[in-house]
Amino acid sequence: MKRQSSLVSESVLIEKLIQRDQQAFQWLYDQYSPALYGVVLRIVRDDDQAADLLQDIFIKIWKNLDAYDATKGRLFTWMLNVARNTAIDSIRARKTQPFAEIRTDAETVHIVDQEHSTEQPKPEHIGLKDVVNQLRPERKELIDLVYFGGYTHEEAAEKLNLPLGTVKTRVRAALQELKQLFR
Amino acid sequence: MNVTEYIASGILESYVMGAVSDQERREVECLSSVYPEIGHELNQLSEAIEHYAMFHSVEPPASTKDKLLQQLNFGQHEEVDDDEQTNDTIVRPMPVDMSSSHSHRTTWIVAACMGLAMLLFSFFLLSKLRTNQNALVSVRTRNDSLKTVASKLKADQVESAQVVALLSQPALKRIELKGNEKAPKGNLFIFWSAATKQVAVNVKSLPALPTDKQYQLWALVDGKPIDAGVFDADSTGSTTQPLNRSIARADAFAVTVEKRGGNPSPTMSTLLAVSPVKA
Repeated sequence: MKRQSSLVSESVLIEKLIQRDQQAFQWLYDQYSPALYGVVLRIVRDDDQAADLLQDIFIKIWKNLDAYDATKGRLFTWMLNVARNTAIDSIRARKTQPFAEIRTDAETVHIVDQEHSTEQPKPEHIGLKDVVNQLRPERKELIDLVYFGGYTHEEAAEKLNLPLGTVKTRVRAALQELKQLFR
Repeated sequence: MNVTEYIASGILESYVMGAVSDQERREVECLSSVYPEIGHELNQLSEAIEHYAMFHSVEPPASTKDKLLQQLNFGQHEEVDDDEQTNDTIVRPMPVDMSSSHSHRTTWIVAACMGLAMLLFSFFLLSKLRTNQNALVSVRTRNDSLKTVASKLKADQVESAQVVALLSQPALKRIELKGNEKAPKGNLFIFWSAATKQVAVNVKSLPALPTDKQYQLWALVDGKPIDAGVFDADSTGSTTQPLNRSIARADAFAVTVEKRGGNPSPTMSTLLAVSPVKA
């Protein structure tokens, strides 16, 4: 099943999910679990923990579907946020000094990224890989730090030893570039 | 607000990156639903992040899916939830509805009663007003008639006072004149005071005259008639009317019928009565 074609009937999918349709859930899982798992794995960097978290995340999505408001954002974006927040919460709760540790985590993000994306590339994302590699390294670094590391702008500025204004400008530039690349 | 500036501020990028405060998040969600340009930009940025996440996809262990399928309850959501909801909706609003509709009915009854009372009271006031208006009209009529009476009484009183003044003059003489064959029932009195030279007439009975005629009194002094004033017979009735001529001497008084306003000399053919003044 292609994601593009299914987006057209996203409202039908949500309707079926709210009706607790098993087929709809299976489709949702098959479609999005690799992306969510990838995000979680990059945040927690532990296969077992990531698998447990993925389970929690889909239960959360399942229970909170009623609360999802299509007018406030896209379904996949919403699911990504659930996954990301759950994963970041878990590492912040687990670590006594999350702030200091995240810094070192973030430095290893690239390694994890390389491992997983090169070892298990999804066929439909091969084209994407070229696209993402066009992204300027300093911008990619910042996206990874903020999006996968859960850094605030202030924390990222401290981490990268950059002025806060530069970080904000760079985050915007990175997203704009990403937007253009995927157009 | 400036939409372009807002889009350029970088807040949307921070939002899709999950690096905004709760307040900023609500702000972005609100503004993106209000301004289509913001919504469009947010959608594109979300798509970019989605692609980016897709790019980092990793196949999860197959066991995770199996665990989930075992753990979740499929096809039961509607029954359970709907039962709870319908129970709730039946139980909760009923007493509220009852009391509110009851109190509404009471309110309506009270309002209706008050309205009716007001209506009756206004009818009462209206009838009262009409009665008062009628009373006022009758009082005015009576007042008018009383005024007429009062003014007549006043005029009479003035006249009486004049008569009294006249009659109380010193050396007043009273001369009775009787009508001749031209006025057989004619009868009048002349009051004359030589001291004050005033003359007054009291007509007891004289024939009515045409409107262009008047009676004229003459004082005869040494056989010559002197104008002593004019008077009317019917309008004055039996009252005494002073005449506006000064008569110092008179041997006799005579009455003739003359044109209205009187003549300088008497018309002898109309002589009605004559009487000498007794010394």
